[in-house]
Amino acid sequence: MLEVAGLTTKYGAISALRDAHLTVGEGEVVGLIGPNGAGKTTLLGSIAGILPIESGTTTFDGADITSVAPEKILRSGLALVPEHRRIFTDMTVEENLKIGGVTRSATERGDLLEEMAELFPVLRDKWDTAAGFMSGGEAQQLAIARALMSKPKLIMMDEPSLGLAPVLVDLVFELIDTLRSQGRTILVVEQNATRMLSVADRAYVLRSGDIVATGTGAELLERDDLFDTFVGG
Amino acid sequence: MSELVQNLIDGLGRGSIYALLALGVAVVFGIMHLLNFAHGELITIPAYVTYWAFNNGWNWWTVVPLIVIVAVLSSLLIERIAFSRVRGAKDFTLLLTSFGVHFIVAAGFLLYVSASVKQIPRPTWAANTVAISAVRIELFDIVVIGVTIVVLAGTTWLLQRTMFGLALRAAAADFDTARLMGIKSDSVIRGAFALSGFLAGIAAVFWIMREGQVTPTAGIDPMLKGVLAALIGGLGSLRGAVLGGFVLGLAEVLLRSWLPIEIQNLTTGFVFVMIALLFIFRPGGLVSVPQVERV
Amino acid sequence: MFPDARRDVLFPVIGSAVLFSVLVGGGMLYQTIIGNGAAERLMTTMLIDAIIVIGIQIYIGNTGILSFGHIGFGAVAGYAFAVYAVSPEEKLKRIPNAPFGLTDTQVGPTLAMLIAVVVTLVFAFIVGIGLARSGAQSGAVAPTVITLAVLFVTHEVAKSWPQLTGGNRGGVSFAIGASLDKRWPILLALFAALLGARLYGQSRSGRLATAAREDNLAARAMGVNPLVQQMTALLISVVVVSIGSSLRVWQIGSILPDRFFFDYAMLTLVMLIVGGRNSVTGAVLGVAVMTAALELARRLGQEGFEIFGIGLDQAPLDWVFRENLNSIVLGIAMVGFMIWRPSGILEDWEFDRWLYRKLDRDEVEPELLVELDEVPDLRFSASDISVSFGGFHALSGAGITAASGEVVGIIGPNGAGKTTFVNVITGMVEPTHGEFSIGDRSLNGMRSFELSRSGLVRTFQNLRMFGALTVRENVETAALVAREHRADRQLPDVDPLIREAGLWEHRDRRARELDYGNSRRLELARAAAMAPSFMLLDEPTSGMSDSESLTMIEQVRHMAATVAAGVIVIDHDLGFITGISDRIYVFDQGRVIAEGTPEEVQADPRVQAAYLGSMAGD
Repeated sequence: MLEVAGLTTKYGAISALRDAHLTVGEGEVVGLIGPNGAGKTTLLGSIAGILPIESGTTTFDGADITSVAPEKILRSGLALVPEHRRIFTDMTVEENLKIGGVTRSATERGDLLEEMAELFPVLRDKWDTAAGFMSGGEAQQLAIARALMSKPKLIMMDEPSLGLAPVLVDLVFELIDTLRSQGRTILVVEQNATRMLSVADRAYVLRSGDIVATGTGAELLERDDLFDTFVGG
Repeated sequence: MSELVQNLIDGLGRGSIYALLALGVAVVFGIMHLLNFAHGELITIPAYVTYWAFNNGWNWWTVVPLIVIVAVLSSLLIERIAFSRVRGAKDFTLLLTSFGVHFIVAAGFLLYVSASVKQIPRPTWAANTVAISAVRIELFDIVVIGVTIVVLAGTTWLLQRTMFGLALRAAAADFDTARLMGIKSDSVIRGAFALSGFLAGIAAVFWIMREGQVTPTAGIDPMLKGVLAALIGGLGSLRGAVLGGFVLGLAEVLLRSWLPIEIQNLTTGFVFVMIALLFIFRPGGLVSVPQVERV
Repeated sequence: MFPDARRDVLFPVIGSAVLFSVLVGGGMLYQTIIGNGAAERLMTTMLIDAIIVIGIQIYIGNTGILSFGHIGFGAVAGYAFAVYAVSPEEKLKRIPNAPFGLTDTQVGPTLAMLIAVVVTLVFAFIVGIGLARSGAQSGAVAPTVITLAVLFVTHEVAKSWPQLTGGNRGGVSFAIGASLDKRWPILLALFAALLGARLYGQSRSGRLATAAREDNLAARAMGVNPLVQQMTALLISVVVVSIGSSLRVWQIGSILPDRFFFDYAMLTLVMLIVGGRNSVTGAVLGVAVMTAALELARRLGQEGFEIFGIGLDQAPLDWVFRENLNSIVLGIAMVGFMIWRPSGILEDWEFDRWLYRKLDRDEVEPELLVELDEVPDLRFSASDISVSFGGFHALSGAGITAASGEVVGIIGPNGAGKTTFVNVITGMVEPTHGEFSIGDRSLNGMRSFELSRSGLVRTFQNLRMFGALTVRENVETAALVAREHRADRQLPDVDPLIREAGLWEHRDRRARELDYGNSRRLELARAAAMAPSFMLLDEPTSGMSDSESLTMIEQVRHMAATVAAGVIVIDHDLGFITGISDRIYVFDQGRVIAEGTPEEVQADPRVQAAYLGSMAGD
């Protein structure tokens, strides 16, 4: 469904990305792991259209989305849950969700809102609260729900467990599992490599801007030298 | 006491217009980080059109909607011609661009219409006063305050209850993330300028009625008031802008009644000094919008 | 070579002389060709405008702060000059009741100008304090608004204080004896302005101000106090503008509030912007270009003017080209340049700097630096640092120590609190609890420029160069500060340091043109030029490939050794950190969870867990 070929991105002073190749098939959960500063966020940002691509191509659902405007990419069915969530803190939970569904018709939006309330009960409780008052875990759920409101074919998540207490990390990974059972396609950048590899169908290991390893989740988990691939050298 | 009430109403009347102008300035700033020094032209242009209209037999009933429409169209046109080409530029560049636009419009009227003052007939009811016990209130002030309240209520409804308003607020809060949601940058920017133009148009109606005349540089004063009021409230806060407008109107009137006669003419200067002081001691304005220094 | 008197004094003098000759010579030529009084007046006006625009350039160019207020200062100077220089007989007609007995006072024009400068300086100093308090830096809105206030307030006062200023009608008009028939005061002032502007631009204060203009945060991290430099630039610029304004009043022969208001502010600003606001040469060019353009516009608007035989007073062109065409030209010039070339024609190109480089003999490659043997016995110590944001504990009792000559690494997953810790010890965040010090000198509560002057110098994860400055100028900025505040240390020479960083052949290239690896090395060199006791490197290998990171290890070690500095490094690249560090601290969830040699830390299962994450319940 998503194909990245030879992607090279220079992004100011933050991680460059060199000649990255990645595919995500329909219904798959694919993980992108690696130490920080490796270029994982850069990769997602390049796919989503918010970072300028130097060379290489990204193809989604057969269409070329290289360097296309982010709003267009979203409309073609590829949603991003950004790093640090970036929820609209002065707007309520409901408003955040509505914005997520801005590309949908009013009736569709109404249905989707109900769906989200079902899927994320904690959001229903805080429906009219300003999003800025939510805890980290709640905010993460809101961010994911907001992305789901656009009915994406593929949802990308950037470090969803960042800054969350362990029990909330559980929640996030349960969520990913639930979404997978709904048949959704997911690409997740994660710092928590062990957890990610145990949920993912396949994964890529990124280090210092290069993809250094790939395989199924199980394969990578079994490697003794996993820590070494993180460290390098 | 009655003088105080009269001053208050007078101040609120002026403040209403300033609030509308400030809100227009703040809406555009929130989206584009552009402090629009050409905002006053959204009064100058409709004013000249009004002059033309009255010369061609129009009356106030038909002119009022004309003013608003012209203001909206002018706002969109200026965005298209000038501001769209400097999107994403540094604040320095945006500021100077808006100055340039102001200059071009003012110079254009100077050049192609006339430098002389053009008179516009005031509406007949504007001079009426209403007496409530010992207090004489201008009917004009009451109408202005009333209309402003309605418009502000309507704008609030627009921003809070419609998808358009939601999109505007999202874009103002975090433009990049708004785009990730699928909001088109072109649409939301144009929407902001249209709203800004609409608010300026309402303000223009009353400004023109009150002044009764137009000159090429008529735009400087309302622009200043709008920008100053938006600054008082803290750029980026819509509520602050409205508050700033009322504060400015009241401050003007009260200063004028308190200052000794000799320096009453310095009222605008005083206001400016107050604002400069405000900036020195509270750079974020009255309603602070937090700025984070990113390392 | 540093400091370089040829580049910073000799060539600016030569350059100013050349610019002066070109501008004045060109003006004389035009005057001679056209040969009438109007041409002469136009040239006189142009030269006076040049003085004022150069004055404005001194401020805007060196600080990056957009000021609308300089014409307001000009108003103050102009009125002061007029009031003191005009004869009592004239004043009796216009301002018979001037306060302070000024109606009866008269002094010669030179003294009047001096008084004008002093009065305006006092006013400018007060405004400058206000600017500093409002958080002035390049690109900020607040200072622009304050300067706009200056413009409006001076205008208002001028209009509304008729006893002193003659108000809005007749103004203060006068003839001062031999008036301004002779041009020499103007020429003298123009040359002085040019020279002053260039010498200031190359002076210590000017260079530090420019660094702050490029990157305020990085400048502070290099020990620069931008507020002091901005005030200096302001005062010098006001002196020049005051002199120019006095001359302007003298030449016109009268003063009205509107002469020093919006229109003139716009004119001078457009002239500066068109030429290039970061350059004195640009200011001069802008004055010449706009004078020509406006004169052309004026002619086009008149009757009977032809271009290539086409009479412009024939329909339909006569509708377009009318009187007062100049104001539209100004507006179009402003908007046009903002859209297509916001930095102006010359950007920051200076004639004398170009000349200097052209005539530059081949410089000899400098010696390599020697690693210092003597390492001072200093310890950096941070203890029990806690930071809470609201209810969130970013740091709980974290602490590290480092000795001179040691390399200490800090690692930890994202969100572990490393960034917060760095922000605390670099003065950007106040801890709720904890102390840090170098030796027995406490660093608590110091602002970033104070910290670097005390010996703790940092680099930035997001690479903060003084982009428009050359490699050399970047390093010299730090050296300029070090010479004054780090004089008790052994200061490395600038050129060898540049060579050490492998940047010698790029020494005259702008920092923003460097590739990524070279930029990182420049950061290192710049930090080393401060002769720090401790260098704090914030993710120095961010964005580098593995092989590049490995070469950084040696470069950092070596650079630190040349200045005998201890190193504290934060990075995610474990290969780099384990390769370079003598000791490593591991952060996780706001605490230090492990400390030890690289081997110890790598083998620690807690560290592995922190990095790879763990299953629930671990």
